[in-house]
Amino acid sequence: MEFIEFLTELTTYRAVLRIMTPLLLAALGGAFTYHAGILNIALEGQMLFGAFAAVTASYYFGNAIAGVIGGILAGLLIGLIFGLFVVRFKTDEFIVGIAINILAVGATTFAMRALFGVKASFSDPGIKPLIKIPIPGIPSDSFLGILIGNHTLLTYISLLLVPLLFILFYYTRFGMHLRATGEHPEALETAGGNTSLIQWIASAINGVMCGLAGTYLALGYLSQFVKNMTAGRGFIALAALLFGAGNPFKIFIGTFVFGLADSLSIRFQSLGVPPYFALMVPYIVTIIALIFVSARQKKRYTM
Amino acid sequence: MNWFNTNLRDILVGRMNRFGQIISAIILAIIIGALIIYINGDDPLVAYQALIISSLGSSAAIASTLSKSTPLILTGLCATIAFRSGVINIGGEGQLYMGAIAGAIVGVYITGLPAIIHLPLALIVGALAGFIWAAPFEWFKVKYGTDELVTTTLANYIAILFTTYLVTNPLLKPGAPLGMTRNILPSAYLPKLVSHGQLNVGFLIAVSLCVILWFVFFRTTLGYELRMVGSNPRFSRYIGISVGFRQILAMGLSGALAGLGGAIVVLGIQHRFIQNLSPGWGFDGILIALLAGLNPLGVLPMGLLFGILKSGGLGMEAATNVPSELSEVLQSIIIFFVAAEIGVTMFFRWRNNQKVQVEESLKMGTLDEGVFVPSDQSSFSDGEE
Amino acid sequence: MNYAIELEDITKRFPGVLANDHVNLSVKKGAVHALVGENGAGKSTLMNIIYGLYLPDSGSIRINGKKVVFHSPRDAIANGLGMVHQHFMLVPSYTVAENLVLGREPRKNGLFDRAKAEETTRKLSEQYHLEVDPKSVVHNLSVGTQQRVEILKALHFGADTIILDEPTAVLTPQEIDDLFNTIRVLVKDRKTVIFITHKLYEVKSISNQVTVLRKGKVIDTLPTKEVTENDLARMMVGEKMEPIPAKSTIQVGEKILEIKNLVVGDSMGSRAVRNVLLEVREGEIVTLAGVEGNGQTELVEAITGLHPIDSGKVYLRGKDITGKTPDEIRRQGLAHVPGDRISVGSNRSSSVAENLIARRHRQEPFSKKGWTNLQIVNKFAEDLVDRFNIKTSSINALASTLSGGNLQKVVVAREFTFQAPLLVVSQPTRGLDIASTRYIRDVLIEMRDNGHAIILVSTDLDEVFSVSDRILVMYQGEVVGEFTPEKTTREELGLYMIGARRQSKVESIA
Repeated sequence: MEFIEFLTELTTYRAVLRIMTPLLLAALGGAFTYHAGILNIALEGQMLFGAFAAVTASYYFGNAIAGVIGGILAGLLIGLIFGLFVVRFKTDEFIVGIAINILAVGATTFAMRALFGVKASFSDPGIKPLIKIPIPGIPSDSFLGILIGNHTLLTYISLLLVPLLFILFYYTRFGMHLRATGEHPEALETAGGNTSLIQWIASAINGVMCGLAGTYLALGYLSQFVKNMTAGRGFIALAALLFGAGNPFKIFIGTFVFGLADSLSIRFQSLGVPPYFALMVPYIVTIIALIFVSARQKKRYTM
Repeated sequence: MNWFNTNLRDILVGRMNRFGQIISAIILAIIIGALIIYINGDDPLVAYQALIISSLGSSAAIASTLSKSTPLILTGLCATIAFRSGVINIGGEGQLYMGAIAGAIVGVYITGLPAIIHLPLALIVGALAGFIWAAPFEWFKVKYGTDELVTTTLANYIAILFTTYLVTNPLLKPGAPLGMTRNILPSAYLPKLVSHGQLNVGFLIAVSLCVILWFVFFRTTLGYELRMVGSNPRFSRYIGISVGFRQILAMGLSGALAGLGGAIVVLGIQHRFIQNLSPGWGFDGILIALLAGLNPLGVLPMGLLFGILKSGGLGMEAATNVPSELSEVLQSIIIFFVAAEIGVTMFFRWRNNQKVQVEESLKMGTLDEGVFVPSDQSSFSDGEE
Repeated sequence: MNYAIELEDITKRFPGVLANDHVNLSVKKGAVHALVGENGAGKSTLMNIIYGLYLPDSGSIRINGKKVVFHSPRDAIANGLGMVHQHFMLVPSYTVAENLVLGREPRKNGLFDRAKAEETTRKLSEQYHLEVDPKSVVHNLSVGTQQRVEILKALHFGADTIILDEPTAVLTPQEIDDLFNTIRVLVKDRKTVIFITHKLYEVKSISNQVTVLRKGKVIDTLPTKEVTENDLARMMVGEKMEPIPAKSTIQVGEKILEIKNLVVGDSMGSRAVRNVLLEVREGEIVTLAGVEGNGQTELVEAITGLHPIDSGKVYLRGKDITGKTPDEIRRQGLAHVPGDRISVGSNRSSSVAENLIARRHRQEPFSKKGWTNLQIVNKFAEDLVDRFNIKTSSINALASTLSGGNLQKVVVAREFTFQAPLLVVSQPTRGLDIASTRYIRDVLIEMRDNGHAIILVSTDLDEVFSVSDRILVMYQGEVVGEFTPEKTTREELGLYMIGARRQSKVESIA
């Protein structure tokens, strides 16, 4: 009963949109390297670096815009490092991904302790959060207003990117080169394209978008940095990416479902379900979704 | 020198190469670490000195280091077994937690058993818990193609949350300041190896498993089959080896090793399960396996190296201002350099293999993969008619 | 004389191999210049150097008299070179038009102008009489059509010289004729064509200049009308080739393999094998001939348990093995030399010894209670290496260090010594040098003389004629004709292979 109520309330979906934002940004970023033939499993670590940089920048410069820029730059840097090892040194992308994830936890915790002197989390009124923006022309208490009004800029950006990236991937020259790089790099090379450059660009964009995702995590809810705060969201984003096979619309659906599960878990907690139990929900839902999707795909091919 | 089954000279040369690469990576990491320490406002020499002394400077320190290395060696073996067999197990952390809680449950709640039964039982149940928390994910991979990398990673979070729930609610020791179980019964204690400190028999178990697993992988039929499946599953199927079954088995065994590691930590060091038991041992195990070249014997020195870093890191933090997380930073840097130096690495033989195989088959025109497969030789020449 | 391409003293080394050894080559403008040599002679490497994929270690290249250095295909393309590779450079999920314009896609308002691309494709297609449908997706096209797209691509980029690397390898005789017509059209349009092949009759049909390569060196360059195929063969191989000894006729024995009404689907959902009936007896080699992609691979995989069967039955020595696992089938008495010796038939990251004992690794005396007996394993491996003349530095060398011929010998050594009543052999000599090819064919005949039943899949008509006792032509998943080598010709087989003719259902001709 409660569950049905939950599903039909507008505020639920509003919350889902907020929860989805970091997942969507990271997954869409991952789509770039995915189409370029690289599976970047370091979405998690890149997000974490972005989150830390955003908090630090916001704190030191006293405003959220600085935080966003900080997140972007950190993401760009780590994305380029990924590109350096994978594209230039031809290191296995999986090893580099794992290394970045581990490095992210260590380095951000180290930096948090070194810079702010705290061990587990850093929060301070000096950290400026992202501001919510109403959409001009839509009153805040109308249906649309509640649903999509008064979100942060990053949420709007993430939603707009879905159709934009779809067009980019499938209807522009860049997108065609990008996908050719992943599908048949020799074809592009012998036609005069530069697959290495494309992979570098994809890595950089991936990094930036994960940096933004991390920025949202840190500055979009509670304005703080907590050790290892991404808590597996990067992997949920990865799951959405795989589930959507790089198609932005399908990725949107994937992150929506996971966002719903996450929102559900918060709801469960307020209903008295023990918190740790409730928190397991998104991960369990993700695993089940992955299993179902692959089972269906398999059936299609064996028919 | 038949016993080595390879040209001894070749092995030594190969080993020297890799050894050299690892050493140079470590040196590079130390230099970068020194830079970081310096930027942070501390004296690198003092910091490193503290690191060395607190990890190796006295017999107590060494004992502590060996004790800290124990779970690392086991998670390293966990990852080694998995990757060698072509199975991606990132769930070592979660499997360790499950093994730990299982071992704790057996240790706390099963009463009336003599130590000679209680202890082994707890260890076995721990390993079993790890097995159970791993194998099904590979089953889904074999049956439906569900990528086990993502599922085992997510399973970590589930395991950690689940066990945390258990020790903060049903299994919570009354009056405890944080989530933990009651103390395990003495009959389930792992005997200590030293009078003061935490070094226990678990360390010996870990070391002997390194040797045992080496023999299994390189001198038994099971090992041969796992290696074949890991480096070329298509060949294995063609030869008649049941690939899926072996992969599931390998995943399960891999999880069992991590679970055993968790149980050893509970039974030998803390004697109860405390929430947030592991500072990331499972993930460290993956790095250890990579540095060890996926060789069980190599896991031992690499596990010890990480143990030194961790043990020393704590000491360094106590003596200076430098946060102990520097160890993690150094670990990652080492991996970056080692992996990059070897170029397309030998670490993931099977992934590397598949890439190269496909390239070579394509070049030869023998890849039976769809439409464009030109044949290299189809001579209509020199007719006999 | 105007030369389109001049190569002076080109040398290229790879680890362990001198691929091109001081090669001097001049290609006249407007010529159809053939480049011949057996596998491993260095033809492809040389062309890859011209196309900018490799940098030569020494030597120089002139295009139209101008000295050039190519760092990548982009440079080569800019200088009017186009190349159609053996494995195509087409993105499978893109359409013909998208592939054609890849690299310089037309744009409208920042977006890809699909209409323009399709129009460009249509125009080119008409101009050169190369029929393609701009909208069709590449991975659905036949190989011959894909090749046409590749040629159009090169032309679209403004190539004056087009290099074709073994273009006829997967074409039916009819498609080969179409290709030759295309070449004639190109030449009329004042293009230069370089044609790499080892099929000597093609050289005589279409080229006017020919260069022979052997072991990285140029043997000679001559006008085609001044050489015979025998001359070319001799230059390619460097020694007098002994005539292939005739097969002895032997009595066939019991039925070993029987296939009834077999239907097998392929990975895309259509029927790869439709209602096939056949049988193979002791002491005979039955060859499935046909252009690659007509169901032979699926048939073989179905027999060996590597591919699911939709309906029908397979019997081995009277026992039903339909749908069983490879392990069970092999135990019934089957050995398999697969078409893909690198990805399937062997494990490149294992040693020669480990490859040789595969499948035997569980049996005594190699394994006892799960423990491997290294001494016995090594002795066995050394024994096989000796018997089959496998050139390797040691039995513990990795399989990846072996040449194609020696790797195949490893596979054959392993499989043929199982003493299995039925041998399933697929493309055994593809990509091998002449010496290894002869060796493998001799061994195959020896096994047949010893009473084994052999089913062979081959696209090499030489092999088909020299080795078979019976020939079954496969076309689109069906057996459309059965022949004996003495009573048929290449042309006749060719007609069946392209589906122009078919026999009514006839039982085996003994």
